[in-house]
Amino acid sequence: MARFRQDGLTEKERFEALLHRQPLDRVPFYLWELSFAAVTVGYPKVTTFADPAKSFEAFRRTHEMYDGWHYIYFTPGAIGVREFGGEAKLPTGEYAQAATPVKSIVQSEEDAWNLALPDVKTAGAIPLVMEFAKLQGKHGFPITFSSGSILKVVQNLTGAETMCRWMMKKPKALHRLCRLVADFHIAVAQYLVDSFDRPERIIPLTAAPTESNQVISPKFFREFSLPYQKDVYEKMLAMGVKHINTHICGEQNLNLPYWAEIPMGDPGIVSVGHEVDLETASKVFPDHILVGNVEPAVIQTGTPEQVYELCRICIEKGKQHPGGFALAPGCELPPMAPPYNVWMMRKAINDFGWYE
Amino acid sequence: MVPEQRKKEILDGIRNAVVQYDEDQCVSWCMTSLQEGLDAYETTMKGLAAGMDTVGELYTRQEYFVPELLLCSDALYAGLNILRPHIRPDHAASKGKLLLGVVEGDIHDIGKNLVKTMFEASGWQVVDLGKDVKLDRFVEEQKKIKADLVGLSALMTTSMMAIEKAVAMLKAADPGVKVLVGGAPLNSEIAANFGADGYAEDAVSAVQEAGRMIKKQPV
Repeated sequence: MARFRQDGLTEKERFEALLHRQPLDRVPFYLWELSFAAVTVGYPKVTTFADPAKSFEAFRRTHEMYDGWHYIYFTPGAIGVREFGGEAKLPTGEYAQAATPVKSIVQSEEDAWNLALPDVKTAGAIPLVMEFAKLQGKHGFPITFSSGSILKVVQNLTGAETMCRWMMKKPKALHRLCRLVADFHIAVAQYLVDSFDRPERIIPLTAAPTESNQVISPKFFREFSLPYQKDVYEKMLAMGVKHINTHICGEQNLNLPYWAEIPMGDPGIVSVGHEVDLETASKVFPDHILVGNVEPAVIQTGTPEQVYELCRICIEKGKQHPGGFALAPGCELPPMAPPYNVWMMRKAINDFGWYE
Repeated sequence: MVPEQRKKEILDGIRNAVVQYDEDQCVSWCMTSLQEGLDAYETTMKGLAAGMDTVGELYTRQEYFVPELLLCSDALYAGLNILRPHIRPDHAASKGKLLLGVVEGDIHDIGKNLVKTMFEASGWQVVDLGKDVKLDRFVEEQKKIKADLVGLSALMTTSMMAIEKAVAMLKAADPGVKVLVGGAPLNSEIAANFGADGYAEDAVSAVQEAGRMIKKQPV
């Protein structure tokens, strides 16, 4: 059995040291997993989205196995869909990975103007989010919730093509939806803050795939995402939240200057996809904790040696980042990733990730 | 006979309408082309398709993104709806036939829809199976229609693995079938490992790759 060097800190201590800008013994391993955890302990993938207690257990055991970072989160998937009155399909098939809207609940401009903010305490899957948050609180984890970016939730409501067309043809209706989604995120955050005694324990997560430049231009990012995302974050920070975790998903090099305008806490946590070079991200976000960015498809299909080498490159770049760094996949860890490849990520940290 | 200068004016009008995603102008110029006696096939290729070529270049240069592509596509189809009924049967033969779909487990079809547009604009016949398509359906449809190419896409790392299986199933049923794959998590190395014959990073390069793949086929 391979033996790793003795850690100087626990995962919890390492995570807190990063947040407090204190020195670390080694690079942490942010597994960034969802269904991978469920699969690891023998649950079906859908457990991740539907059963907070089993999901929490799966995360804890998986983190125990791989020395995972002291940060886990729950997502019911297809955020906004059930909360605004729609129906989501959970991933049950062999090749399914994410919850998806059954149909778009906003199909016309009239729908957009008539859609109302739900009572977040009871809406859709928010009770599941709260159940998971209580488990996090009880077991001393940061309290997290995955809010989805502004445009990701709008896309969940309208469908991707409608959202894209409305950017150019019906911008007022789209702005109305962006505002509504921002208000939804703010209301959920307030509900979490009101439910726990110390708001600084809450570390929200936003994942922003729809904002990718594989989909929209930086011009549309600036118009439809930036002002609302900024407002959400400013209001979360005003509630007493200290750190926000943002996943800048996919190819977003052209958007980076705009993301840098958004306050994410002191420090915030920024994860980038493999499409954004860590050295570039480090220059744009020098004060935030940087997370990334091993290409998920290589973790899924590559050889252990390829995964190890990608990790080495990431670690050597990430260790130079002044705000602190955690090794992670560039997006969600593939649910069916070969466990040995995931273990190679941990091994690469052992071999290259020590600070002294 | 339409004077060359007028013909150029009409074709430029159509091309610009597609590039500027102006559906009304595109329809108007296409109707004008018919009224003034331009050949519908020539108008399609030198007006609509040429416009879409320019759109592809703008996308490659990151001047256009998906929203712009979608509106250009709307203008293209608005024009095609006018011209298609007037294309002579001897011009109706396509460059090739593409069987297309997003594999089982994945509902992300915006990229696939753009692929369809770019192929149709380039003169291909596209049979679109849609999204979340069961793998055996690709095999069944290919048996029926014998497309020149089968195009498969996926956006997730889990559904990506369905592509590998679909390629194997298609090749088992017909070793000569050509499969083109794409989608965010894939790259050329993964595509090759999956047994695919071609890989395209986006809708624009997919048409170019398809052209190369068809040329490579033994006579």
